[in-house]
Amino acid sequence: MNPVAPSDFVLWLTLAAMWLPFISFLTIFFITRTQLALSLAVSVSCAAVSLLAAWYLLLGLPAAQPPVEFKMLWMAGAEARISYGFLLDPLSRLMLCIVASISFLVQVYSLGYMAGDDGMAKYYSFLSLFAWSMISLVVAPGLLQLYVFWELVGLSSYLLIGFWHHKFSASEAGKKAFVMTRLGDLGFFLGIIVLLLHLGDLSILKLNAQAAAKLSAGLVTASAVLIFMGVVGKSAQFPLLTWLPDAMEGPTPVSALLHSATMVAAGVYLVSRLFPFYAASPDALMVVLAIGTVTMLLSSTMAMVARDIKQVWAFSTVSQLGFMLMGLGAGSYFAGVFHLTTHAAFKALLFLCSGVFIHHFGSNDMYDIARGGGRRLKVPMITITIAGAALAGVFPAAGFFSKESIMGALAGLPQPGWLAAGLAGAAMTAYYTSRLLFVLWFPRQIAAPHHEEHGHGEAAAHSAFGYWAMGVPLLILAGFALVLGFFGDGILNFLHWGRPPEFFHHVWLAPVSLILVACGIGLAWLEFGRKKAAQAGFLSRLPAVEALFANRWYMDAFYRCMLDYVVYGVFSRLFTLNDRRVVDGGVDGVCRGTVGGGWLLSFLQSGLLQYNLFTMVLIIALVGLYFLVMH
Amino acid sequence: MTAAFPYLSLIMLAPALGLLIILFLPHDSKRAVRWVSLISAAVSLLATLYVWQAYDRMAGGLQFVERTLWVKSLGIYYYLGVDGINLPLVLLTSIVLFTGVWTMWDLKHRVKEFFALMLLMVVGVYGVFLALDLFFLFVFYDVSLFPMYPLIAIWGSTRKEYGALKLTLYLLAGSALILPGILYIYFKSGLFTFDLVMLAKAGLAPDVQYLGFFLFLFGFGVLAGLWPFHTWSPVGHVAAPTAVSMIHAGVLMKLGAYGVLRVGMYLCPQGLIDWAPLFAILATVGIVYGAFVGLAQTDLKYVIGYSSVSHMGLVSLGLATMTLGGVSGAVFQMFAHGIMTALLFSSVGHVYDSTHTKMIPELGGMAKVQPRASFFFILAALAGIGVPCLASFWAELLVFINGFKVYPVLGTLALSGLVVSALFMLRVVQKTFYGPKNEKYAGCVDIRSSMIWPRAILAGTILLFGLLPRLMLDTITVGVAPLVELFK
Repeated sequence: MNPVAPSDFVLWLTLAAMWLPFISFLTIFFITRTQLALSLAVSVSCAAVSLLAAWYLLLGLPAAQPPVEFKMLWMAGAEARISYGFLLDPLSRLMLCIVASISFLVQVYSLGYMAGDDGMAKYYSFLSLFAWSMISLVVAPGLLQLYVFWELVGLSSYLLIGFWHHKFSASEAGKKAFVMTRLGDLGFFLGIIVLLLHLGDLSILKLNAQAAAKLSAGLVTASAVLIFMGVVGKSAQFPLLTWLPDAMEGPTPVSALLHSATMVAAGVYLVSRLFPFYAASPDALMVVLAIGTVTMLLSSTMAMVARDIKQVWAFSTVSQLGFMLMGLGAGSYFAGVFHLTTHAAFKALLFLCSGVFIHHFGSNDMYDIARGGGRRLKVPMITITIAGAALAGVFPAAGFFSKESIMGALAGLPQPGWLAAGLAGAAMTAYYTSRLLFVLWFPRQIAAPHHEEHGHGEAAAHSAFGYWAMGVPLLILAGFALVLGFFGDGILNFLHWGRPPEFFHHVWLAPVSLILVACGIGLAWLEFGRKKAAQAGFLSRLPAVEALFANRWYMDAFYRCMLDYVVYGVFSRLFTLNDRRVVDGGVDGVCRGTVGGGWLLSFLQSGLLQYNLFTMVLIIALVGLYFLVMH
Repeated sequence: MTAAFPYLSLIMLAPALGLLIILFLPHDSKRAVRWVSLISAAVSLLATLYVWQAYDRMAGGLQFVERTLWVKSLGIYYYLGVDGINLPLVLLTSIVLFTGVWTMWDLKHRVKEFFALMLLMVVGVYGVFLALDLFFLFVFYDVSLFPMYPLIAIWGSTRKEYGALKLTLYLLAGSALILPGILYIYFKSGLFTFDLVMLAKAGLAPDVQYLGFFLFLFGFGVLAGLWPFHTWSPVGHVAAPTAVSMIHAGVLMKLGAYGVLRVGMYLCPQGLIDWAPLFAILATVGIVYGAFVGLAQTDLKYVIGYSSVSHMGLVSLGLATMTLGGVSGAVFQMFAHGIMTALLFSSVGHVYDSTHTKMIPELGGMAKVQPRASFFFILAALAGIGVPCLASFWAELLVFINGFKVYPVLGTLALSGLVVSALFMLRVVQKTFYGPKNEKYAGCVDIRSSMIWPRAILAGTILLFGLLPRLMLDTITVGVAPLVELFK
């Protein structure tokens, strides 16, 4: 479908949705940072307008609206012409809405969570920066604009993960996130260059429509795989997945934002954005599918042994992102995007609920929270259960439907192995989710309520405003996590312009996966839920396996070694030595040689006439002898 | 076209006039010395801004030309002019000079001599960027180098005599290649003129270009920090006082790259085509090598020094691509790197002046002690690792695209330098500024309000050209387009 230019109203509305968060960032960071109330008002109201605009763009435009495209020349340097603008099609409209909604809810929630923190105004300015980068990424009409904001999303998460940078672990986690995603971005950037040099135009619509016809198959595969490297970094896929669990060093609302609608979602969004391009290369889709599967299985095992509540959710994010990529890799555009949508709602909810517990009990450990009496907090306890059900894929929560559509796509593949892996993953997801919920619901011994232990910002923790600021977003998200699943057909129609492809429905699939989910929950019940349960998983009987899982398959250790021994130990050390000894030493040697030569020659200047005469005679004699011999 | 009013002479001679006035001021009137320097820098800056906005980008070519015969028998002209290549660099010089003078406001020791030498150096820098006559260009080149020695040896720190001597010897060795190069071209062209534009039209024989470009590449390359002739630069940066580091790393290193571009590439395009693979290899080694060595440094100024080596490698790589995008990217990178390094040095200078250390292990937690200095450093460091919407991103983007296009293997290697440079810059930020509040330096004051301005100007420049790259690139492309025609 050919793109149309936006009407004036849509143009200004979209620009408002894109630019208000940036204006809010600039205003807060450079002008109103010292006035907290004003800064909060600026940030939240900008986010609210952006939210309304996004919802209008999703629902207010006609259903069969052809893509709306608007472009201005941003940079022109010979071959590389970068345009700045926006592209509104069903995918970007849906995603825009998700991003704007989650970031608005997170901003509201943070009013309670961050109350009393010194850097609260700065925190809001970074949240606005994050929203701006992500929104501009989502609506980008060209791959280069997308890359620019892709990097800015990375920067924003660096700033927010390391927000409490007085803690070493926080600044370390921020750095790790930035460098590891940068590693993947190298591939992304190379892929862009390859496409740019061969196509000359990186408009997403043209790329999707024409790349397959204009490029050779090998080139499509190569550039698709290179671009996918960026996705691996950003969406924390194998082998670059270890930064995400560390990234929870940031404030919990940031984790909610990072794990649901921004940062990591950007990777999956990119594959969906370029889906027709990827679909042109079966090999590239196979790479996506394989990486997604490996990641999903690995991170599920890690989540099964984690004790830290945020870490469980972090690993589950990695594995759910793997699920989305499996859906896309299996060739179903809808399945991946649908799971991205439902996941955004329930994962944000999981983190925000956990934030309430962490805020209240000052601990991340799920056993500590349970013993402290976590289940007394009614709103978060009920909403976390709803979200957990969605994550585990229990009917009728949203996760069930979206996971089912992914399973449907996997069942359509010729090899049954992918479906088996997917089902195993679903069972593990059910197990680790219900493990955590059972620990919270059925603590072994409950301590008397005490209030001496708190996270930061106690002052606001008990205020009614703080309570509702944190509570209302939970309820809204819980509503989404419950009902979003029933909009599957609507989203399917919407994404495919009202002409969805035919799906082959496997009648046996839903019962099979529900039985597996029930097995997972049952196992968790036996070990963690029932009265006599020891609250120790079956993995604790296999210490070696448990250690393997708990140490993240030693991937972190591997990277640490590479960094210490290869980057610092070999390259950095050798180059530095070379610089001191060879390059610099060589020059100093020349200097010393010059000085030494001068010293040697200085002996000729003895001032003794007889030596001078002797030398003169000697040289004349030698010259004479030379001419005699030659002639 | 010839200028009605000699704006370029005004830009160049305002610091010279300031220098003259300072020489006649009494020794103890430090206030007057500072004001005279700042005003002369401001006059240059304003004149530059006027030229910047009045330059006709549609017409392109050399504008604001001033051309007078100086020595007829030798063919020497007083010939100034700007095009899209040197205009950004003149702007860079004006900004860095103005902010540098302001940054050194609190200097106590031998104020008169310091500002006098600094202005003298800048007259030379303007001269090199503006002159279109090889004789003047060379004279100004040496004028800009010579004041470095006293500036570092008297006001510097950390092995200052060694640093000053090393720097001077290296750069003079470079000059020793440039002068024969100029004379070689002068005689071989058969025109007996030093006029750069006329010489470029002479159509030199390929073997003359081959040798000529070799001499210019390594002669000017030393000053551009071309690997392996780069070791003077970190040592010199470390030893130099703040404003001198700012001008040195920010502007002086660009003289080298500009020399390669304006003299080497302009006069000997065929020579560049012959030498380009070697040039590109050295550039790429510099990019990766500089980043890795920077990773091992513990002195803040050394870190910045090696990042400069790495970034100047990008400039060289851009030049070696011989494409419109690559060369434009290189010129943009010169500008962006100049502003960014100046900001880095001015922030580090403040940290050093107040804590009396620049060793990373002794610092840490400075963000809580000096939030303003930290903000400026972090912003510049982010620009250095190529964060989008900051000026150097666009430059690096162009260089990488064209680097990969012309030299796929080298381009990929250079790209990997991006990860290492991200690692080492963020490591420095983390170790120096993050962490619990540093009680040892709790009493150290932050940058005071009036001294924020020079840093804010630099930071604003980075943001402005980062958000609106066309402001800069449209000018550069106009200047570079005729040049790259020579390589086809």
